[in-house]
Amino acid sequence: MRIRLTGVSATFPNREVPALDNVSLTVGDAEHVALLGPSGAGKTTLMRLISGAVVPTAGSLSVGGKNPAKTSELRDIRRCTGVVRQGNDLVHGLKAQTNAILGTCPSWRLRDWAAVLLGRVPARYAQRVDILAEAQGIRPYLESHVEHLSGGQRKRVALVRAVLPEPRLLLADEPTSGLDPVTSLAAIRTLHEVDGVTIVVSTHDLSIARQFPRIVALRAGRICFDGSELSDRDAQAIYGGTAARA
Amino acid sequence: MNPKTRDPHRPHIHARAEHPAAAEVRADQVDREPPNDPTHTAVRHRRSKTLWLVLVIAVAAVVWSLHETGVSVSSLVSGWNNAQAILAGLFPPQTDGELLRSVGDAVLETLQISIAALFFGTILGLFLAMLMAGNIGAPKWISLPARWLATVFRSVPELLWALVFVAAVGLGPAAGVYAISLHAAGLLAKLVSEQLEAVDVAPVEAVRLTGATKLATAVLAIVPQARNNIASLVLYQWECNIRSSAIIGFVGAGGIGQALGISMRLFRYEELATLMIALLLLVVTVDQISRFLRHRMGATTR
Repeated sequence: MRIRLTGVSATFPNREVPALDNVSLTVGDAEHVALLGPSGAGKTTLMRLISGAVVPTAGSLSVGGKNPAKTSELRDIRRCTGVVRQGNDLVHGLKAQTNAILGTCPSWRLRDWAAVLLGRVPARYAQRVDILAEAQGIRPYLESHVEHLSGGQRKRVALVRAVLPEPRLLLADEPTSGLDPVTSLAAIRTLHEVDGVTIVVSTHDLSIARQFPRIVALRAGRICFDGSELSDRDAQAIYGGTAARA
Repeated sequence: MNPKTRDPHRPHIHARAEHPAAAEVRADQVDREPPNDPTHTAVRHRRSKTLWLVLVIAVAAVVWSLHETGVSVSSLVSGWNNAQAILAGLFPPQTDGELLRSVGDAVLETLQISIAALFFGTILGLFLAMLMAGNIGAPKWISLPARWLATVFRSVPELLWALVFVAAVGLGPAAGVYAISLHAAGLLAKLVSEQLEAVDVAPVEAVRLTGATKLATAVLAIVPQARNNIASLVLYQWECNIRSSAIIGFVGAGGIGQALGISMRLFRYEELATLMIALLLLVVTVDQISRFLRHRMGATTR
């Protein structure tokens, strides 16, 4: 799925500095992009713009040829987009496996609903849930309730939830925060293994960003780097000098 | 999100009102630090002024109420003799077999009224709560009438509902069930909708981002988070139903209350004592069962 931003700005009221300032960016079909930048650079805002959770104050954007600012087109975009949000966003009170399949709910039939409400995984998803969970090393915890999982395990359940519906666009906001280096790499490998999917992953971790064929760096709401090879000097320019914005 | 509890410093976006993401946009700013601006101190100052104002009004309200209702120690002392006569009449409680049997029946009827009313009240109350809760997102033309209905149900006292239903369906426990059901539904609707609105917004947005409908989001992300607290509220409502059914029995809506009313009007104080002991035992038993179940669920409310 192709993403195209043209001169997009997003300003939050009571804030003079825009979160995103005149950003133009094109991400091609099935391209894998790492979004790098210090805290407050605008990574999350950019991800939220693409998923339609934030509306731009200027500029235009299209996701798969559709406009996320239009209600009717937003639902179409969301149905073929997998999202891993920053922080913990699993539903407490449900089992890990139920959380893992929530992304597929728009296509559930009555039988699937019945299975889910009884705490089971609908038969047609069971095999894929097992495979993905195995790859993430969370298979033994699938029956546990979310509140009994560690932060890293929750993150990986969220990753499975995003990948399971076979989305055409995958947005992952800091998917590796709270994971140890080995688990982080496993998580990123899972993302790379999904074929034909556009992937945008935000991170402030250089080593994670370098796993991606294309790196786009943000600083103070603007794109300051866009390329495949990020040298240490480029990294210095992204992070060094002035402190991150409040 | 309750607008009253929103941090005044947290920026919220003037999202276009018709945009479905408007609610999410406000949620997106939760993690951000408040800006370090000079209005901070001004706001704190304003808050402490408000606090003083509230305190003064509260004290004035208490003094005014004590004065106007004629509460005084002297009236209690002078009335002691009359009270003593009644209390003396209560002893010893009557314990003959026939009375005990009828008291047993009345206790069971009260229990039945409370359970039947809990059944109807819960169904109606949860339904209204789902329509009322702001984060579930029912359209205004549905959620507002639901809110009004719930307000009417719980503001009209059970005793009044009981009078209405006794007039409509006649004396007996059925009138009590209808009366308590309506009041319970009104209360549960309010309390449950508050529990629904208090759930964590992040999982709700995560499910909404999958393209789920409002109903699916409510069922999958909002209700599971509030489930234990809702169950706890329902059990607590059961305790309230027992107490209510004892009171509305006085106007003929069945149960132990009806027996209490009759004994009182006939000045059979020994009978009254037996009934009061039975009621006390019933209330304590139900309280204990409910408390045990709520504790088992690990709910945080009450």
